[in-house]
Amino acid sequence: MQEDHAALAARYFDGQTSRLYHVTLSVRDGQAVLAGDIERSCPLGELHVSERSSHAVRKVSFPDGAYLEIANQAAFSDMLHDTGHRDGWVVRLQQSWRGALLATVATVLALWLSYQYLLPVVAKGVAYAIPQSVERQLGQGVLDFLDRHVFAPSQLDAARQQALRSQFARLATPGDSTPEHRIVFRKSKIGPNAFALPSGDIVLTDEMIELLPDDQAIMGVLAHELGHLQQRHLTRRLIQTSAVGAGAALLFGDVSTVVATLPPLLLDLKYSRDVEREADDYAIAMLRQNGIALEHLAQVFVALGKLDEGTPYLSSHPASTERVTRIRSAGH
Amino acid sequence: MDFDTNNTTPQREAITFSATGSEYFRIWIVNLLLSIVTLGIYSAWAKVRRNRYFYSSTHLAGSSFEYHGNAVAILKGRIAAVVLIGGYNIAFQISPVVGLVMLVLMMAVLPWLVWKSLQFKLYNTSYRGIRFGFDGSARQAYKYFLWLPILNTFTAGLMTPFLHQRLKRFQHTQSRFGSSNFSFDATVGSFYKTYLLFFALLLAGFLVLIFIVFASVFAAFATSANDATKASGIFGAVAALYAWAFIVLPLFLTMIQNLIWNHTRLQQHQFQSQLTWGRTTFIMLTNLLGIVVTLGLFSPFAHVRWLKYRLEATSMLVHGSLDAFVAATGEQVSTTGEGMVDLLDFDLSM
Ligand SMILES: [Zn+2]
Repeated sequence: MQEDHAALAARYFDGQTSRLYHVTLSVRDGQAVLAGDIERSCPLGELHVSERSSHAVRKVSFPDGAYLEIANQAAFSDMLHDTGHRDGWVVRLQQSWRGALLATVATVLALWLSYQYLLPVVAKGVAYAIPQSVERQLGQGVLDFLDRHVFAPSQLDAARQQALRSQFARLATPGDSTPEHRIVFRKSKIGPNAFALPSGDIVLTDEMIELLPDDQAIMGVLAHELGHLQQRHLTRRLIQTSAVGAGAALLFGDVSTVVATLPPLLLDLKYSRDVEREADDYAIAMLRQNGIALEHLAQVFVALGKLDEGTPYLSSHPASTERVTRIRSAGH
Repeated sequence: MDFDTNNTTPQREAITFSATGSEYFRIWIVNLLLSIVTLGIYSAWAKVRRNRYFYSSTHLAGSSFEYHGNAVAILKGRIAAVVLIGGYNIAFQISPVVGLVMLVLMMAVLPWLVWKSLQFKLYNTSYRGIRFGFDGSARQAYKYFLWLPILNTFTAGLMTPFLHQRLKRFQHTQSRFGSSNFSFDATVGSFYKTYLLFFALLLAGFLVLIFIVFASVFAAFATSANDATKASGIFGAVAALYAWAFIVLPLFLTMIQNLIWNHTRLQQHQFQSQLTWGRTTFIMLTNLLGIVVTLGLFSPFAHVRWLKYRLEATSMLVHGSLDAFVAATGEQVSTTGEGMVDLLDFDLSM
């Protein structure tokens, strides 16, 4: 402890002018001693030493703003070691490759866990906390947009539309409240389709109605879509995608926003399968409650399954055969 | 300042940057992990660590820079920014009127925030023990960050190069190193020239591409190709437009950065910036590719590469000595920096 280190060459700045002083630094009796262009000494306890690094210059600051730059990192580290100086745990972690590797694994794990478990819970909580009026506005523009680009007015006569609406309205719904909804009919360029918007609009295409064997099956589809509304699936999905987008933008933000927009798109695919099952369960519960045989709902997916695999309705949905089996097994 | 009194030939001092991608990777990943597990709170300390590392790795004439930012001040700034941005986004969903009120409110505070953040950034930077500073007044900040941009929207953006010049002039003439002010002498005309060249090149490329697209579409119809080839032709054309924009944008960035720094002085000392189009484009493209391929793990390396190139392309023509600067009076730098501590750092780049 007491053996003297060779004095280290250092550059000293007094904090008042930009003048460079060449000095040497040595440690004696708990004091840092400078000699050379300027003479000065200061108790070690009053000095602040910058964090260890292999490529940045290390600095020692005095209480009055003066400071030293030391070029010889290795010798300075030895000197610090002998005075009992110890790096903080964050610095030790940053300076070791093993620490960095550990941090990488832990980061990936933390990101994965929060995506898998934390985000759905938070999104659900937020979705239910959003007032219905705000949620309605989320989907407001969507139907207008689709009407302009994808849909034409329905060819179904008004009486038939009204009959389907009132037939569905007579059904009892599971759970303690029925979400507000409006059934709209459209003719589409994209084939048989049905979906629910956060605005409460349940869209049913003419092609879908043609495809289905009977009205009970149509009720099944509507029940499934009502399930999406009840569980606020689209809102939750919107919240999740934007959270992932915001997270990605924070991680890679300063380099490129192009990169930041990719992950939400990729991660979105898996989500829909779980959600479809939830909506199917709601439909199953609703049909049962009204004494409609589940086979009607199963027939929906049998019919959809016969269609070409390229339909948009199918691409984000679980395989039809899997769903048919699931619905049929729920009937027993 | 009279430059001609000392007739000595200037000495070129290039900036060097000693940080490496691998060391920054370790700092970055630890910072990232701690920021995630603390739900973002640590990000303020992460910023301080990162800046200290980068500043201490930046050398001019043998001495390095230093960052003094205080993590608590940064955290306060970040919380305020999150509240503001969050409130702004929610406001529009509640009702258009509330949204509009929030928009006006944002416009009223934003220039003040930018001004505070400029002050914070410069005050917390030092070189050779002397702190930088920013003198511009709040009134000027409102002029350059609010009134002129609003005026510009009424001219269909034609004022943009003028505005850009005024903004840079404001920023660079109001910045100081200790008690010495920077100066800026790039003309409005030179900004217009740079912008015009950029738009001319962009447009020329687009016209050529549109011509090619039309030709190929006609060809496709003539040979009665199927929908797939038509679609891929259009997709290819859109991709080509993007690619062209991505090639021309670095040219603009290079020219404007060179223009700004080649017309900035600190007293008699002149700055020089020598970025080149090819190298800038190469670095930007390969960085993007690296980040995509490694799912983001390359981003600290990319950051260091880009920073290193930009910094090392900059040099200072030193007339005489760099020993003569003095700290601004009444700004005794203490460890606490009383009176300056409550300066918030509104990191608008987040
Ligand atoms: Zn569904």
